[in-house]
Amino acid sequence: MTDLVTEGSTKPSTTPKNATDRHHIHEGDFVMFRLLNGEVRSQQVNRSGAITLGRLGSFNADELIGQLYGLTHEIVGKSLKVIPPRNMEDVEDTEATNELINDGMAVQPLTAMEIETLKQSGVHAAEIIKKQIEAHANYELKTEYSKDKYKKRKEAKFLKAFTTVEPTLFNVCEYWFHKDQTRIRDLRIDTLSQMINLANIRPGGRYLAVDDVSGLLVSAILDRLGGDGRLLTICDVDSPPAYPVMTQMNFPQHIVVPILASLNWATAEEDYTPVALLPDPAQESIKSDKHRVRMNKRKATSNLLASARQELFVGGFEGLLIASEYEPMSILERLAPYIGGSASVVIYSPHLQPLTSLQNRMRLDPQYLAPSVTESWLRRYQVLPGRTHPTMMTTGSGGYLLHATKM
Amino acid sequence: MWSSSNKIAAGDVVITWLTRDVIQPFVVTPGKDLNSRYGYYRHSDLIGQPYGSKIGSRNGKGFIHILRPTPELWTLALPHRTQILYLADIAFITSWLNIRPGSVVVEAGTGSGSFTHSITRTVGRNGKVFSYEFHEARAAKARDEFETHGMSDVVTLTHRNVCKDGFTVENVADAVFLDLPAPWDAIDHAKSALRKDRTARICCFSPCMEQVLRTVTSLNETGFTDITMYETLIRPHEVNQLPVLPSIAVASEKLKKSERKREDKRLRQIAQARAKHTEKRKRSDDEGADAEEDRMERKKTKTRNGTDEGEATTQNAWVSATTPDSLAGGDASTQVVSRVMPEVRGHTSFLTFAVLLPRVQASAPDIESALQRDRSDLSSGLSQCD
Repeated sequence: MTDLVTEGSTKPSTTPKNATDRHHIHEGDFVMFRLLNGEVRSQQVNRSGAITLGRLGSFNADELIGQLYGLTHEIVGKSLKVIPPRNMEDVEDTEATNELINDGMAVQPLTAMEIETLKQSGVHAAEIIKKQIEAHANYELKTEYSKDKYKKRKEAKFLKAFTTVEPTLFNVCEYWFHKDQTRIRDLRIDTLSQMINLANIRPGGRYLAVDDVSGLLVSAILDRLGGDGRLLTICDVDSPPAYPVMTQMNFPQHIVVPILASLNWATAEEDYTPVALLPDPAQESIKSDKHRVRMNKRKATSNLLASARQELFVGGFEGLLIASEYEPMSILERLAPYIGGSASVVIYSPHLQPLTSLQNRMRLDPQYLAPSVTESWLRRYQVLPGRTHPTMMTTGSGGYLLHATKM
Repeated sequence: MWSSSNKIAAGDVVITWLTRDVIQPFVVTPGKDLNSRYGYYRHSDLIGQPYGSKIGSRNGKGFIHILRPTPELWTLALPHRTQILYLADIAFITSWLNIRPGSVVVEAGTGSGSFTHSITRTVGRNGKVFSYEFHEARAAKARDEFETHGMSDVVTLTHRNVCKDGFTVENVADAVFLDLPAPWDAIDHAKSALRKDRTARICCFSPCMEQVLRTVTSLNETGFTDITMYETLIRPHEVNQLPVLPSIAVASEKLKKSERKREDKRLRQIAQARAKHTEKRKRSDDEGADAEEDRMERKKTKTRNGTDEGEATTQNAWVSATTPDSLAGGDASTQVVSRVMPEVRGHTSFLTFAVLLPRVQASAPDIESALQRDRSDLSSGLSQCD
């Protein structure tokens, strides 16, 4: 294993999921791996399993279990070695310019074949990069900035290292935003953060949510409830909704199980009656143990449904959050009766138009105070000594929000 | 923190929403009155009313909305003692710093308490906020406010200059937030306040780029990594219901109409002038060359007039055939449009973030140090210049 020693803590037991610790990697966790080229991949860590990270090769998953999130590891054989985090290096300004460097010049006498042979013979990445630099015809002509860029590019190519990414709301949202933006309906972290703040999500609160963003909104709310409070979601499927983003959060059970309940748009209707009525156990003769188990299970499901319905109809929820693919006014008309006075209504859309029409209708309705439409704006910077500037490529939009207060 | 009951009670902090720009907090105190442009109210009238009520004034001059305070409303309503943080920054910082129920957060300075209220709500009863303010009067005001708002069991406020004297806690904070004029002077102290047994995070809030650059240098030298910087804003839109825009055919129609009108007017003037002239002639008995001229003029006018009319008719037909009735006919149908408000906040501050990773006592693998060796010469050279 590694020779990492952290201050004041020993490795916690690796009992999965029922553990409350969210800072160490547990068996069964879905772990995000950031490679040196910036790419992030996710894989489940199973005991005695192997983790394969493409070009980096594979290693024994047991090596990760019990490790802290956030560390950088190098793959050595099938095991891992923790490597210390690096500081940014200042780059000295020199007289060098790219005046004499022309495209298309053959500058690297080392052939791909020779490099491959070096790799095969077990020479370390640092050594290969050094050889490449030494052989490079124009390396000394480069500016220091360009030398730095060159080395970083080569490291990303040859060094077999990765960083485990802590499954914070921010990191998980960013991971999904890059991996599959459409499945989270382009909901960006700045907008999501505004939603949970505007809706006043606090431990102990009760909230209603409609999440057609793969569980990103649900994850955010559960994270901010921290195992205290209630979240009732309404979904458009007849089985408990799959919120795949939640998997990536690696929530311990106590954050989810006692907190989250779901209804669908049919069972959330006040005059809904189930098509198949529950057989009356008094009338029905129990034929076998198996039959009894099945009956009990059906009864439990039915009770759960009845209590969730009851909870919705009693109402008084403190906030309503919507990130849905359905027409927002139709959702609002259904759910507004169940939220209390002074509760926040926060509605997300990747498009402006549905929210402007909604605002235009809501402002005529005295039960909504000051419906406002906003757009989120975010700009990230590259921060390097002497090279600080906004990133050249960025996300086009973070989406739009409508916020109002229920009167 | 604040009342979570459905109904307003004596002693509650409530928020009155008068307009979007006039949002005021007060403590419901029986015997006191509320007087505003929107009428006269007695505090006692509010007691027992549900939160989120619209209350009519006693003198019939208007009404007000009474809301339950939330940190977001408080940000809009609070008495400004300093420049404050707003929703966009607060929300983003909270997420990046991974502040959630149970977190321990260190904050300097307290300022007007906008950020303090928000994170106190988020960390909840199992969390802790250590807030530091170097201005004595502001610290005292903030302490009173936190007491009134029932935040004292979560927030510990200390009057202290953290740049000089550091923080009162060590190795406990999950996150540090620095909103100081010279955050670089507090970064060493921040490091000792942060926990070392797992990833801890820091955010420095500075309006100027020069501050950011010094902060980044200091963070880097103190051992923080993953340094990154963001700017975030909320752009408010105004929504309007406007008539659908007229087709350009309306404009050409209008122009042609006015051209016809002008021509008609011209002809009328000519006719009038001629009539006057003829009358004069009759009186002066002089016919001959002038009459000839007059005939010629009449003929020319006739021709031109005829051509004009013919053209106008054809064009008219074309217009009505290609323009939807709703546009040409000035139908009152409207559309809902939106645009960003004419004047918006263009900049608040740069948010510089960094991570403090658990201390690794492992000897760095020699291969790694080999790779770093040639760079360390450079960086040591530069830090001396600094």
